[in-house]
Amino acid sequence: MRVFQKLKSIFTDYRVLILVFCLVAALFAISPMPWRDGVVIRSVEKNSSAYNAGIEPEPKVRPMGKERILSIDNIPVHTDDDYYSYVQTIEENRTVLIKTNKKTYRLTSGENGSIGIRVSKAPTTNLRKGLDLTGGIRVVLKPERELAEDEEQVLDFTVESLRQRLNVYGLSDILVKKITWPEQYILVEVADATEEEVKELIGSQGKFEAKISNKTVFVGGPDIKYVAFSGQQARIEQCALIQGTEADPQYSCRFSFAITISQEAAERQADATANLTLDPENPEYLNESIYLYLDDEEVDSLKIGADLRGRPVTDIAISGPGVGKTERQAYEEAIKNMKKLQTILKTGSLPIKLEFAQTKIISAPLGEDFTKNSLRVGLIAILTVSVVVFLRYRKIKIAGPALLTMISEVVLILGFAALVGWRLDLAAIAGIIVAAGTGVDDQIVITDEVLRGELQPYNWKKRIMAAFFIIMAAYFTTSVAILPLYFTGAGLLKLFALTTFIGITFGVLVTRRAFAAVIEILLKE
Amino acid sequence: MEEEHKEHKPKSKLSGLREFYHKQYKRLLIIPFLILILALGQIIFQIATTGDFVDKDVDLKGGISIQVTAKQAIDTKELDRYLSEKFPKADIKIQSLSVAGQQTDIVVKSTLDVNETELVSEIKNKLGEIEYSPSLVDASFGQAFFKSTFIALIIAFVLMGLLVFYYFRIPVPSIAVILSAVSDIIATIATLNVLGIKLTPGGIAALLMLIGYSVDTDILLSTRVLKRHEGTVFERIIGAMKTGLTMSATTLAAVIVALIFSRAEIFKQIMTILLIGLLYDLIMTWFQNAGLLRLYFEKKHKKETEHIEIEEISHESVPET
Repeated sequence: MRVFQKLKSIFTDYRVLILVFCLVAALFAISPMPWRDGVVIRSVEKNSSAYNAGIEPEPKVRPMGKERILSIDNIPVHTDDDYYSYVQTIEENRTVLIKTNKKTYRLTSGENGSIGIRVSKAPTTNLRKGLDLTGGIRVVLKPERELAEDEEQVLDFTVESLRQRLNVYGLSDILVKKITWPEQYILVEVADATEEEVKELIGSQGKFEAKISNKTVFVGGPDIKYVAFSGQQARIEQCALIQGTEADPQYSCRFSFAITISQEAAERQADATANLTLDPENPEYLNESIYLYLDDEEVDSLKIGADLRGRPVTDIAISGPGVGKTERQAYEEAIKNMKKLQTILKTGSLPIKLEFAQTKIISAPLGEDFTKNSLRVGLIAILTVSVVVFLRYRKIKIAGPALLTMISEVVLILGFAALVGWRLDLAAIAGIIVAAGTGVDDQIVITDEVLRGELQPYNWKKRIMAAFFIIMAAYFTTSVAILPLYFTGAGLLKLFALTTFIGITFGVLVTRRAFAAVIEILLKE
Repeated sequence: MEEEHKEHKPKSKLSGLREFYHKQYKRLLIIPFLILILALGQIIFQIATTGDFVDKDVDLKGGISIQVTAKQAIDTKELDRYLSEKFPKADIKIQSLSVAGQQTDIVVKSTLDVNETELVSEIKNKLGEIEYSPSLVDASFGQAFFKSTFIALIIAFVLMGLLVFYYFRIPVPSIAVILSAVSDIIATIATLNVLGIKLTPGGIAALLMLIGYSVDTDILLSTRVLKRHEGTVFERIIGAMKTGLTMSATTLAAVIVALIFSRAEIFKQIMTILLIGLLYDLIMTWFQNAGLLRLYFEKKHKKETEHIEIEEISHESVPET
């Protein structure tokens, strides 16, 4: 009966009720579904068949709200392996039926049977994982020169161009942001790309110029009205063995894609070709070629048809090579070069040249292992601490609530993280551990005050208040010690500061107060 | 004093220690200050020899770091010899990481005198196909990173100090709390130098955490001694100590477990620094801060009243207004 009464007073205490309410809200924000399987759409390549069929990933949506693929051609998809092994078998120009939790799409496979969707395992919670835990690439870029204060929009513009460039390339799982203190940087995180792709895409300024007789006729970005990305207008034309021996052959493939340039650019081209003469050896063409430069390096040169002399033409084909040791390699190289050039023509050049200040790559298996490992470490740490608390006080009445309080604090921090969409990384997890750690310290302060109250009959409220005097002092000092970190180190330790701060704040406002209430009820005779 | 002897009749080791702690606090006070002086000496030596007060890792000074998953045991010494031979210009260090004693990864760290791709291919030459995660930091970025986090550390100290002053409003005890935290950080940094542990960004985060943990116990001690009125100063210190040691025990337990079982280098570094710092914190809180508080009260009471000694012996509460 007394147990019942105590339980009743615990669950009617307002401090406990506030905790329960917060926990429910946190769980709702996290929405854990550990047994969920299937895959979600991670990214869709621009102008791919999936893109044309109207499939579009929404990068802003919560992880649990991402579009989930249920079946492909009526074959259920449970894992990403299921998906990729089926997709490999798709042939060119075939109709593919993709059923998702939102709707059913009918699409036609493109070249090589590709459909242009990258998937990932369906998330089981709303928690977003940072780069350390998913695997991926983080790059910190530094403008080649310090930008003055009135030039700061240059940095914003660069961020926007980079984002657009990565998007046009078909990467959607990206983070691009500027950092202005202590120095100007741009932070880029990409989860699903190779190091080479990222370096190529953001490492070059992407200044594209087409020149005739050393006169620029058009540049990438503003002069370009349209870029063809797929279909007959963008393809690999031919592959051939160009040189080398049997042991060391070299193949080359040529890509070609259509663009439309602006009327002004076409006029410029007309002016540049007006006074050219016919090539004496090859009278079908003019005696000057059009040279394509990327970041001041020649990519390709194209002969100009004789009939184009002095005529403002807006539709132009851009071409270039891809070289490799095998035909396959050359083909892939050509595809890659084409994609890069298409992207750069479409998005234009970056306003400022960028240098790599930091590059960090975490392999996906390592990331996954970090996730599992940090979960395990957190769990073992919490249990160990509970055992130590039990050994010290020899009372389940104290060790039990202490354990529950620690778990509650972790759940509240995670709930908050899910709500605001933090990408949890290893530093953030370290922050959660610190917060739970100071939580135990505070619980011990509370317990000892209450136990002292047990020995000398004293005012309970006063005891708890005495404990909270110490707790609040410790809270404020820890906060001011941790928060300066928020502004430093290119933001790489920001989440550590935030998780710690949020954790201890929830601690002093909610969980540790509930703990005090429970301990008071349980220990009071 | 007689009274106290009677109280702990079964003369255990513990009461002997308590007695020693009670009577010899001035001598015990020498220990933390000796540590502080030695640590400062070490740091001055470090600055004189290397030009920097702490040995910085690649993330803070620029360099290459390649984490290689150990699918089978990797002989780091052998690899170190091989790579150092291949790249005589670069300063290459190899670290082995383990979870519960089992090697999981190695981390090859090098100065920027080599090319990342070449380094990886040489590692592959030696180890075969590897699963690896590289990281490359430009020197100026590393330095800027270090500078900014170091400024954060200074700001953290200043704000913490102001808060402590605001809380206690009495100069000597406030300074004792701040001194304890400062000594803790300085001793920890010197120990890192002696052990040859290089500072990483995670390490700086750990030093900031340490301020928090260190001040926690100091505030507990000072609050109990300054704001409570039951028992003698010494009894209040012992009461605070019981709580404080339990706090340290739980934190140390968690830190040690995390150190043993975590795989990520950043965790290992954070936990190593916390472990060293928390051990120093025991000395800095219970010998330095507590000793200074007792000295303060002794001086204060001597000034105020001659009865102080009689009162302490008669085991009554000491009025401290």
